[in-house]
Amino acid sequence: MARMRFLCDTERCIDCSGCVIACKEGNHVPVGINRRRVITMKQGEPGEKSISVACMHCSDAPCIAVCPVDAIYQRDDGVVLVSKKTCIGCGYCFMACPFGAPQFPKGSVFGARGAMDKCTFCAGGPEENFSKEEKKLYGQNRIAEGKVPMCASMCATKALLAGDGDVVADVFRERVFNRGSGVNAWGWNKAYKKS
Amino acid sequence: MTNSLNDIRHTKSMIFIGSNATENHPVSMQHILHAKEVNNAPIIVVDPRFTKLAAKATEFVRVRPGSDCAFIMGLVNEVIANGWEDKEFIRTRVAGYQEMVEVAKHYTPEAVEDVTGIPAEQTRRVAKILAQNRPTSLTWCMGGTQHTIGSSITRAFCILQLVLGNMGKSGGGTNIFRGHDNVQGATDMCVLSHSLPGYYGLSDGAWKHWCRVWDVDYDYIVGRFPDKEWMGKKGFTLARWYEGVLAEEELETPSPVKALIQWGCGTNSNSQYNRVVKALNKLELLVIVDPFPTAAAALTKTDNVYLLPGASQYETSGSVTSTSRQFQWRFKVVDPVYDSKDDYEIMSLLVSKLGFADEFYKNIKEVPEDITREINKGTLTIGYNGQTPERIKKHMENWHTFDIEDLQAKGGPCDGDYYGMPWPCWTEEHPGTPILYDVSKPVAEGGLPFRNRFGLEKTYDSSGRKENQLAADGVYNPGSEVKGGYPEFKDVVPGTNWKTDLTQETLKTAIKRGMAPFGNARARCVVWNFPDQVPIHREPLHSPRPDLIEKYPTYEDQPNHYRVMTRYKSEQKPELVKEFPYVLTTGRMVEHMGGGAETRSSKYLSELQPEMYAEINPRLANNLGIRKDDMVVIESPEGSKIKVKAFITPRVDDKTIFLPYHFAGTLMGESYLKDYPEGHEPYVVGDPGNTVTNYGYDIITQIQATKDGLCKVTRA
Repeated sequence: MARMRFLCDTERCIDCSGCVIACKEGNHVPVGINRRRVITMKQGEPGEKSISVACMHCSDAPCIAVCPVDAIYQRDDGVVLVSKKTCIGCGYCFMACPFGAPQFPKGSVFGARGAMDKCTFCAGGPEENFSKEEKKLYGQNRIAEGKVPMCASMCATKALLAGDGDVVADVFRERVFNRGSGVNAWGWNKAYKKS
Repeated sequence: MTNSLNDIRHTKSMIFIGSNATENHPVSMQHILHAKEVNNAPIIVVDPRFTKLAAKATEFVRVRPGSDCAFIMGLVNEVIANGWEDKEFIRTRVAGYQEMVEVAKHYTPEAVEDVTGIPAEQTRRVAKILAQNRPTSLTWCMGGTQHTIGSSITRAFCILQLVLGNMGKSGGGTNIFRGHDNVQGATDMCVLSHSLPGYYGLSDGAWKHWCRVWDVDYDYIVGRFPDKEWMGKKGFTLARWYEGVLAEEELETPSPVKALIQWGCGTNSNSQYNRVVKALNKLELLVIVDPFPTAAAALTKTDNVYLLPGASQYETSGSVTSTSRQFQWRFKVVDPVYDSKDDYEIMSLLVSKLGFADEFYKNIKEVPEDITREINKGTLTIGYNGQTPERIKKHMENWHTFDIEDLQAKGGPCDGDYYGMPWPCWTEEHPGTPILYDVSKPVAEGGLPFRNRFGLEKTYDSSGRKENQLAADGVYNPGSEVKGGYPEFKDVVPGTNWKTDLTQETLKTAIKRGMAPFGNARARCVVWNFPDQVPIHREPLHSPRPDLIEKYPTYEDQPNHYRVMTRYKSEQKPELVKEFPYVLTTGRMVEHMGGGAETRSSKYLSELQPEMYAEINPRLANNLGIRKDDMVVIESPEGSKIKVKAFITPRVDDKTIFLPYHFAGTLMGESYLKDYPEGHEPYVVGDPGNTVTNYGYDIITQIQATKDGLCKVTRA
């Protein structure tokens, strides 16, 4: 069974927020709810790096452990989902999550109610696949269609990889192997006496 | 681009100057980063700001805005001083080299440091990196062009690549990134005031050529003008059309401009925006064709404004030409929504109403295919001939058969073609030209020498030396009948040349003989019809370095510069910097596009970039008493002001202010949202950056100088 993983290659991420827009447009996420965001460190200085962050679908997810109503669950493929019909919006998961992934509806101070929302790995929710209810509550179910999540599919530089962890690891391993190997550098052929 | 985005995968080093590809061309980055990762190719970024592209660079060079030419000529000089120039390439394929070297000698690393602020040691280091990592891909964008000397700056870029021998090679080239999928196409069609489509110019011969293509009587076209003499004269430019309306400057025109049609154009990308707004309100008629009401629609208070809801690119179809000179077909996704109409229909209704539909649509029965066919028929200059609608669609349907590395189809229905048939694609059998000026391939297979455009020989003004302008013996494409330079083809069909022979017999004959229709010549370093025959540095009109104005003065004032008086010398005032001490430069951000009418009407993009701002260095902010999120007033020497939020960041140095130019909807913080048609207000508004961009225009092209003005900053 595949184990779903995200990987953001910080050497490739250019802080374009294409993943954020793809996620929001593709799933009709309300303004103010950020299932994914791009974080930049040392902006405008040497060493500037950006990384796209969403729910990491942890193997031992702290959000599942702390949820008082057991609204959060993990599928066999590792995708962590929330049942919005069960969630009471208490925010314990928000405190437990190391990535700031859980999102809550915005409203005035006394009016903010509603279930937690987060990245679904574009795998919908507990409702029947492709049902209207699923689409309304969670957005697309691209995994059931055999597609990668919107964010990774739209990434301009292929910095954001998503899918079966084994495949993602292979792609990344090959990239790191090529990176800086010098095989195609100027002078290589001459130095190693290739024509 | 002489090469293609994909070809950057083969480069051994890259230099970006006046280009912020990470924000403006994100998709190109997959090829740029591939070259960095796989080839160990250094990335050199030359920019006044530490941009997001600089974050990916191996070498960041902070240049004073407007001094790019001095830096590049400095690299040329340093390369030559060390003997790193490509001597064989220069001997056989370059003209005016010695005359150029004499000029470049002035730009020693120390002289460059004085002008640009780049340490002499860094100029030396960059020259060495380029010499040791060939070929280099050189990219510039509007940071290179939007200066009074933009035309010299861009020529300096080309000269650097010639000296290093990086032209006509995979991994090399001058690779100017264009903004979206049809900017190159729009340029090639010359949606400009000084040329008919295909760079034919405005000569009688050019008009007659296009009349033959359109199958319209030449005298009929002459009759459309108030007088024949105006057919050959340049019109107003996009940068200064409003002067034609205001008529406050000295004009050379039969009448002021009274009506304006803006078709997919955001006026707030115009500098001197206060004057633009004034002109909009003086027009007798303003027609705006756009999917969104633009800032102009809200700012024009007169009641003679017509908004025509144009369809988006997803609601229509047709051919487009990408930055890599590739043709692609846009397929329609949905019919135009609500009461919007696509551009073809709007044009057709307009033309019918104006009463010349018969002439206009003589060759055009099937829209849009016949439009592409008419372009195929007439645009011989740049080889727009072989890209028929059928071939373009076939390429689109067989994407998977093209190789990502060299863009060639390996097998399948497009076998041998290069993706999108990059121009020139001379005939319907030609595969397209993936790399310009590449003499390693036969012309029939996408090879090309340099074009013979400027005569057979030239005596230079500066040296008195006479030089043959054709390529040296031994330089030719495989299979060429002539084993060296040769002039352009003419009189194959008597009375015509390769550019005007509509039977295309000339093109076919040349290719059959293994030769390029436009000849085989040298690339010239001396342009004898420009005011600066070899590129030199000239200080921006509003210079922060009054001490340099005497040494590097600007041009004389130019009367009748695209019909309007354009000031240079009389505008260059050394004392200006005392009152306006900071350099003002502008640019784009990845979330917004152009004037922002479209992107500021997208709720998600607006959420990501909800506010207009000015980038200010932390040191300068502290010196001026400006704190995080304070509002600041920026004032230009022309007296216009904007009120925007301070974004304190080390991206800029402490002498420079950066503004994005995508915003509109307020003026000095005052909202005019109520003036948008109800329900069509953008989500995000702000003061237009171009309100404070300074006076100044390129000497040749008249592009606005938005990158090197001066300003004053105060806490609001």
